[in-house]
Formats: sequence, C-alpha cells, structure tokens
Amino acid sequence: MQRAEDREVDDKDDRGGGRPGLLTSTSTIFNTTTPAQRPPSKRKREDTHNEEGDEGEDEQEEEDRGERGLHEEIMPPYKSKVRVLEEYQIIGFISSGTYGRVYKARSKLPGNTKEYAIKKFKPDKEGEVIQYTGISQSACREMALCSELSHENVIHLHEIILEDKCIYMVFEYAEHDLLQIVHYHSHPERRPIPEATIKSVLWQLLNGVSYLHQNWVLHRDLKPANIMVTATGEVKIGDLGLARLFWKPLQSLYTGDKVVVTIWYRAPELLLGSKHYTAAIDLWAVGCIFAELLALRPIFKGEEAKMEKKSTVPFQRNQMQKIIEILGSPSKERWPAVTQQPEYNQLQTFKQYPNNLEAWYHQIGATNALGFQLLSGLLNYDPTQRLTAQSALEHPYFSEGAKLTLNAFEGQSFDYPHRRVSQDDNDISLPGTKRSGLPDDSLGGSRAKRLKEG
Amino acid sequence: MAANYWASSQRLHWQMSRQRLAEVRSALDAQDPKTVQQYPLPELRHLSIYFNSQIARLGRRMQTRQQALATAQLYIRRFYTKVPIRDTNPYLVMATCLYLALKMEECPQHIRIVVSEARTCWPDVMPSDTAKLAECEFYLISEMNSYLIVHHPYRTLQDLTPVLSLTSEENNTSWQVINDSCLTDLPLLYPPHIIALTAIFLSVVLKTSLPQTNIHAAASSAVAANSSGSGGNSGGGGAYGASGQGPQARIGKLIEWYAESKVDMEAVIECTQEIISLYEAWESFTPSAEKNCKDQLCRMIKARGIV
Repeated sequence: MQRAEDREVDDKDDRGGGRPGLLTSTSTIFNTTTPAQRPPSKRKREDTHNEEGDEGEDEQEEEDRGERGLHEEIMPPYKSKVRVLEEYQIIGFISSGTYGRVYKARSKLPGNTKEYAIKKFKPDKEGEVIQYTGISQSACREMALCSELSHENVIHLHEIILEDKCIYMVFEYAEHDLLQIVHYHSHPERRPIPEATIKSVLWQLLNGVSYLHQNWVLHRDLKPANIMVTATGEVKIGDLGLARLFWKPLQSLYTGDKVVVTIWYRAPELLLGSKHYTAAIDLWAVGCIFAELLALRPIFKGEEAKMEKKSTVPFQRNQMQKIIEILGSPSKERWPAVTQQPEYNQLQTFKQYPNNLEAWYHQIGATNALGFQLLSGLLNYDPTQRLTAQSALEHPYFSEGAKLTLNAFEGQSFDYPHRRVSQDDNDISLPGTKRSGLPDDSLGGSRAKRLKEG
Repeated sequence: MAANYWASSQRLHWQMSRQRLAEVRSALDAQDPKTVQQYPLPELRHLSIYFNSQIARLGRRMQTRQQALATAQLYIRRFYTKVPIRDTNPYLVMATCLYLALKMEECPQHIRIVVSEARTCWPDVMPSDTAKLAECEFYLISEMNSYLIVHHPYRTLQDLTPVLSLTSEENNTSWQVINDSCLTDLPLLYPPHIIALTAIFLSVVLKTSLPQTNIHAAASSAVAANSSGSGGNSGGGGAYGASGQGPQARIGKLIEWYAESKVDMEAVIECTQEIISLYEAWESFTPSAEKNCKDQLCRMIKARGIV
C-alpha cells in the first residue's frame, strides 16, 4: 500500500508568509558569490576555552592577524564541541524524508545501553561543497519546542548537535509507530487491534496532545506515522517539525504556513480555508487516527489536489467529498459558523448526504457505543463544539469497559516487527541528498527506497 | 514550558544570580586578558544602549515587531555570557540574533534580506556573504544549547492591565519600560513577571509624561515611599483608574495589591534600581559616547580581522 504520507514541511515553508519569495526557506538561498578563501587559521574555537593558552600561541595569533591584513573575512569558523560520531555508534539507517534522514544509534558512553534515533537535517544544498544556508524555520521550531517539552507521551529529545553544517537531533528510540501497527493488523489478513490496545493508545495520544495544548503548542501534523510506540507500549508523539506556539501569535497561523496537516487528517475548517484555526485541528486528526485504528484503513482517504501555483492553495474537493460521504453535509445547524468559511461557496456545489458515521462504525465491525460517542465528538464539524483533548480524556469510553492500561501492549501477544534498519546505508557523515517525492514513512518505505535508489 | 515559565528552559537554564553573571563575565575576560587590554570597549551599559540602537535600526528597516527585537536582544546577551565579545563581530552577531528571533517569533525574513539590510546599516563591518550569518546562527544556537523560546514581560503586562485597571497611558509607559529592560541584564536575572510588575510600578509611580530626567527622582521617592510603609494611604475604594483618588492613594492601592499577591517586592525594587541606572547611563550616552562605541568596536573588528 503506497501511502501519500510525504511530509510537506519544506514545501509549506516555501509558500511562506504572505511575502512571496521571502520565506523561500533555505532551498533557494545560495550565495552566488564564492566566499573568500579562508586562510588556514591557528585560532580555533577551543582556544578560548583553553586555560593553558600560553604566550607563544598568542604571538602566533598576532602574526596570523598581520598576515591576514585588515579586511579579510575570517571570523573564527564555527566548530562543534561535540561530534556525533565520537558520541554515537550508528546502527543503521531508518528512513528519509524531505527534511533529511533518520538513523538508529547507540551511545558510545560506557554503561549507556539506550538506543537513539538521530534525525539529521540535510543541508539544503545538494552535492558539491555544502555551505551554510540558514536553518529552515521548521527545523528551528522543532529544535526549540523539543528542547522545551517534557512529557511521557511526547518523544524525548536527548540532545542536539550542530556539526559540519548539519543539525543532528538525537531522540529516544521508539521501536514502533501506529502506521506500522495498523499495517501489521491489516496484512496479510485483517486482524482487529484489541480494544484494550486501542483504548490505551488513544488515551496516551490524547494525554500527549493535552500537554501540548496546555503549553500552547499546536502539533499540526498528527498522523499514524508520527505517533511512535515504544517496545513497552508507551505512546510518544513525534515529529514536531510543523508544530508551533499559538499564544497570541504576531501573525495569524495561516500567514506562516498556508497548508498544514497531511491531507487525510486535515480538519474541515482547514479544508474550507479558515485563517484563524485552533487547537481543535489536532483533535480532528486524533479522531481520524482513532477511526483508522478501528478500521485499519484511513477513514477519509481523499486524493490531494496539487498546488499549481505557489501562491494559491487549491480547494481540496476530493478530501471534502470523502468527509461529507461519511459525516453528512456540514449544515448550518451542525456548524453555525460554516457560512463564514472562506470556501463556503464551494460547499454549495456538493450533493447532500445524511450523517452515515454510525453506519460506517458498525460496518467496520466496531460495537462499543461509548467509542462511537467519543469518535463523533472528535469528528465534530464545528471546531468550537469538537471535544478538546482534556474533555476527550474524561470521556466515559476510558473509564468504562475494558480497563485502561498505560502499556498499550499489555495482555496481548502480537509480535510486531521491529523497525526496519538498513545496514548498508548507515554513513551518517555523508551529505544528505534530496530524495524528493518519496514517502518518509517508516514502513516498507525504506525497502521501496532501496529499490529506487539501487 | 511555553505556558509555564517555571518549567521553561529560560527559568531552568538561562536565569542566574547577579553574582553568577559577574563571575561568568570575568571568567570570559580572564581567558584572554591581553586582548581585553589591547581592545578596550565601552562600559557594558553604554555598549547595551549602543547595541539596542543598532539592532532597532536594523529592525526598523524590516518593520520588525518589538517582541522579536526583545528576543534578539536577549539572544545577544545570552551569547556574550558564553563567548568573549572580542572573538566575534558584534554586528554579525546582532544581525544573526535578529534573523533567528524573527523565525522564532513567527515573523521570519529571508536570510538575504537580513544580510542586505544589515549591510545597509553597517556597510564597513557587516559581511556580505549570507553563509557567514548562517554559520554564526549555528554558533549562536549551539552556545544557547538550542533553548530558543523566550518568555517576555509583555504577556504579564497584558494579563494585568485589566486586573489593575491600568490606563492606556500607564500601559504604554509600562510597555516602554519593558522595552528598556531589554537593555539591561534584568532578563538574565529575573523572571519576566517581576520585570512586568516593575514596569507597572514605575508607570503608576512616574505618571506618563515625565521627561526622562525626572524619572530618577520620582522613582527614588517612590521606592522610599514604598519602603516607609504601604498602609498609609489606602483610603477610598473603587477602581484603580478612578479619578478623584490622589496619585498617592493609587500607589498605595497598587502596593497593597502587590503585597496581597505576595509579589517579591525586594526583587521589584532591585529591578527598579537597575532601570534607573539605565536611565542615568542613557543621560551620559552623548553623541560622542556613541561615536566612541562605534569606533572602539570598529577598531577591534578590523584589527582582529573578524569582519
């Protein structure tokens, strides 16, 4: 199954905040002039931290300065104090996306047996000599937010290393993700995920989302591939590359990134062009993920209309159609503010549908009435009436029936495959090359990539 | 975290005592005393005022929001607690801090725009190569340990404006005092709400239109009045902004509210004194002092070849 899961972060950044061209991020920012050749400099960063710096060296520096003349450009080159390969042993390559590549690694520190996933952001320029080009806003957000966040259901950042023009974010390692788990249960034959597992996964996911929202962080890209699960059944929300703070932003959220959330998980207010969306968009995505865990396939599997021009965002007609077919037409009764949505006129052209969610729920074989209630609450058209993360956590679905556990795998014995780690492509120090158009999912993707790249 | 200052990286990793800050700075100077001696720089307050005016100049060219400027200023201050200023080109550092702050405050500008505007502001000392700024960004983020989210006092001011019925003039003055606090070490030393409370205190005490020269006297007397007891003038009820109440009564009410809210008044007074010292330094920041800043920096950059 080919998943249209490729990240759009870079593209989105490129579409930039109402200032066409300004945010063209780093991919087009290359200096056209060759930088002045740096004379070899004895002056290294470390010198400033060297307490034994002796006179002799100082004199040498003086000489260097003299040789350089007055107007040469020689700010001491940046050197990382920590080197990735000194600290970590790379076990193998996990996946790649438009942002760069992810590797599995182990610490070289004696006694530290933990495993890590190292996300290497590719320098934007391909081939030739790599240059500093400015860090993409998406990478800045992810570095800043991950450094700040600390919660058991949000992936833990171990450290960030900035070395040789590359950014390495070292995360705790998680063996599974929801995309892989859904795939396991649907291939080769359909084996429903046990209700206790779904309940635990959903509760932990909501718990993480609630933490993010309490801290004014919107994730904006929740989807199965971004929800990690550790070998011990703990859910970890990952990939905060599109996440941002929403406390009284200086610009509307829309101005920053015109398109957010992978299409199948995109809330109706986003599809209808809402400029001032809220945390409710993440809860819609959680609803879609809940439905997918139950059905073992995406509930609203629309086809994405591609952007023709960078400046205009196309109306995602097919995606809207898929939603309306199951949830029924978004009437004014169900969503009073629907008439104020920028793309409301588009809605008039759709056929009328009744709400078929309950029929859909039974058709996929689900029976838990409270589960249906919760799902309807998450997939509420009206963002102001949609359940919040906190209210969803308090839903009776979690307190009644099968007991809620914090280990999603408790009591079950499925043998989920380990994350695929490729051995023959594990040189983390090689410059990342752009693999555009390839999915960055962690399932089967690497195999497909191997074939294409091979 | 973002909503909670107490769990934020700012509080946990980037707030220090005055003594610690002094130690950190003298340790930096001690790394290379020869260079420190060879390239004298203006006193820190003057340097801060100069940096502020320069970064504001650059910011104005890009219609930068004040909050992004404040973030950039705090980045500069953090960076120079880790790196000796004489090892850097402060103009490149300023431009880089602003470039990064614009991204973090979600109003980004293209790196080429930032470099070219910075070149316009500082043609002699700003490198034209965007890769220089981008490299400096690595350095900056690395020295700040990737802790980039900054809590500013503006938020507390906004929250407290209705609570304390601040007039729009008082709100404006408070806002300006907060802007001014970015020129001091206060953001490294105190939580943002303390700085906001200081700004509000000053704005109520000072009234709005006092010229800067009088601020010192007015503030000193207010501090004195405060320490001599807050119970004296609490007569009259009603809203804080209500006319008919003398200014003293209003100050009394404010102090009462601070006391009830268990505000650390000692910290507020220390912040007040820091702000007042800044205003004094500002008065002595004559055009020739400004030129001196520029010349000394320029000489250092050129002689050390770190354009």
